[in-house]
Amino acid sequence: MSMSAADFTLYALTAAILYVIGLYGMAVRRNMVRTVIGLEIITAGINLNFLAFTILDSDLLLLAQYFVVISIVIGAAVATLALMIVIQAYRHYGSVDLRKLSKLRW
Amino acid sequence: MSESWIILQPIAILFAGALLMQVIEPVGRALKIEKLRDAFAIAIFGLSLYSLLGIYGEVQTQGQITYFLSPYEPPIGVSFAVDQFSIFMAFVFCLLGLLVSIYSVRYMEGDTGLDKYYSLLMSLVAGLVGVSFAGDLFNLFIFWEAMSLSSYALVAFKKYRWEPIEASFKYLVMSTIGSLTALYAMSILYGLAGTLNITDLASIIPTLEPYPLYLVIIAIIAGFGVTASIVPFHFWLPDAHPAAPSGISAMLSGVVIKAGVYAIVRVLFSIFDPAAFSFGTALVLFGIITLSVANVMALLQRDIKRLLAFSSIVNIGYIIFGFGVGAYALNVYGMGGYSIAALAMMGAIFHIFNHAIGKGLLFLGAGNFIHEAGTRDLMELEGVGKKMPLTGTSFSIGLLALAGVPPLSGFWSKLFIILAGYTVLSDSFMIVTTSIVVLNAIFAAAYYLWLMQRLMLKAPKPRVEHAHEGRGLLSMVLPVVIMSLITVVIGLWPFEIINFADLAARSLLGLVGG
Repeated sequence: MSMSAADFTLYALTAAILYVIGLYGMAVRRNMVRTVIGLEIITAGINLNFLAFTILDSDLLLLAQYFVVISIVIGAAVATLALMIVIQAYRHYGSVDLRKLSKLRW
Repeated sequence: MSESWIILQPIAILFAGALLMQVIEPVGRALKIEKLRDAFAIAIFGLSLYSLLGIYGEVQTQGQITYFLSPYEPPIGVSFAVDQFSIFMAFVFCLLGLLVSIYSVRYMEGDTGLDKYYSLLMSLVAGLVGVSFAGDLFNLFIFWEAMSLSSYALVAFKKYRWEPIEASFKYLVMSTIGSLTALYAMSILYGLAGTLNITDLASIIPTLEPYPLYLVIIAIIAGFGVTASIVPFHFWLPDAHPAAPSGISAMLSGVVIKAGVYAIVRVLFSIFDPAAFSFGTALVLFGIITLSVANVMALLQRDIKRLLAFSSIVNIGYIIFGFGVGAYALNVYGMGGYSIAALAMMGAIFHIFNHAIGKGLLFLGAGNFIHEAGTRDLMELEGVGKKMPLTGTSFSIGLLALAGVPPLSGFWSKLFIILAGYTVLSDSFMIVTTSIVVLNAIFAAAYYLWLMQRLMLKAPKPRVEHAHEGRGLLSMVLPVVIMSLITVVIGLWPFEIINFADLAARSLLGLVGG
């Protein structure tokens, strides 16, 4: 199955929407775990964007795959550290509600 | 241009040190040598600084050196490229790393898990050096994340207290959004240009449609601007810097935010031609907004470390303004603006050094006060300088240097930036913005002097009555005194470093076809 410019638009648009959904989720949700999930959605959007461009030009595919794999690994590291901090916050406050964290003003 | 594997030396030394620390720690415990890990950390930082000298010599003769870490030819291979600007930044990073590791010997003594602390400090500096040495944007991003992850963990190092946990989470979330935004920009750039190698991009960009590229420029400034703490992306900084242990505050304020500036400047100047893309105006405006907002905020603080954190944002404003003037001059005056750009950017690069040393000095000095007095409240710290004369005097020198009092180092860099802004008297945009910078500089000098008067001249408050600096504090006082000496010596004899900063500015401009 060959892909066209229309497919590219679809994928790139989905990537942009994922980015916005992630930011929106982090802006409106006050749960620390959901904030971390928001970060992961943004990462997924960007990884998709790398791959979307390979539809237009298959020469890009080799490096794009390499970028995406490493980006997934880095995303996992960030999520691990973020969740570690969430656990510590839970031990202090008994809650993962950002509103309980007095100094945090977003 | 030449190829040489020695580029990898400092990065490899620091990462190897971070891993070996986990072996050194149990060995030190078995042999009952208490400070083995501290000595090892200091040795590793010293070694990395020494290895930079070799690269420096090579860069001086060759101009730029590159290396590909892969069996494949570029663009697949991981590419490193070092020019005068990279090596300048790397020197600042490693020097501050060394001083902070000396400082931590005594300051962190009461904490557990110090092997992890030093490992993280080393991987932080390794990431920083990697960012400045990266030859392609994705490689830059990888080192960027190594640096960021280490600093999130270091901010949360005292995890048994609530403040570091909160501050670290805020820092992690905001900074990660920032670096992901920059990665988004990279993905668009990769799609449009087909490569992320900085040298290749520089030659491909002029052939592309300019409008999507402005989106990339905006995302790069906003993305890396979070770590550089440009207003309005600075909200994490006043929480994260005070919450970290003082040595780490010095690293964050001294060098980590400079890595943000480095990334912005490297991408904008080396890839996009400032003469063709008008991002100079935006940088100038960001610079003065950052300066003005942070100056007002700094005045409202009662916590000494929060005040210093806001003052770091102010200084980022000067640096961004300096680079902005450079880009603006090239954009508006073409080749005629080259000398203005060189002057402004030399001032900005020189200010990176001055602020790294100056703010490192202030945070470490503040750490000494806090260690002895047990409070961060300025009202309770009054008169502490009388009880701790060495730290107090050094701290005052640091304040005066950042206030721009001649002949200390901060005076020269601010002078160059302001002179560059005032070069073209007929350009009202430049004159107005530079005047705002001058007013801010005077305003900032006033509250630096106010802070100095409070700490040094007032009668000591009860909290600081028992503060003293005996022989036990040697490792904490020594880095502070060394930094104040550097400030004085560079102030009196700035020619060598001006020359170095000038070469760095010119190499940055040279890549854009100047």
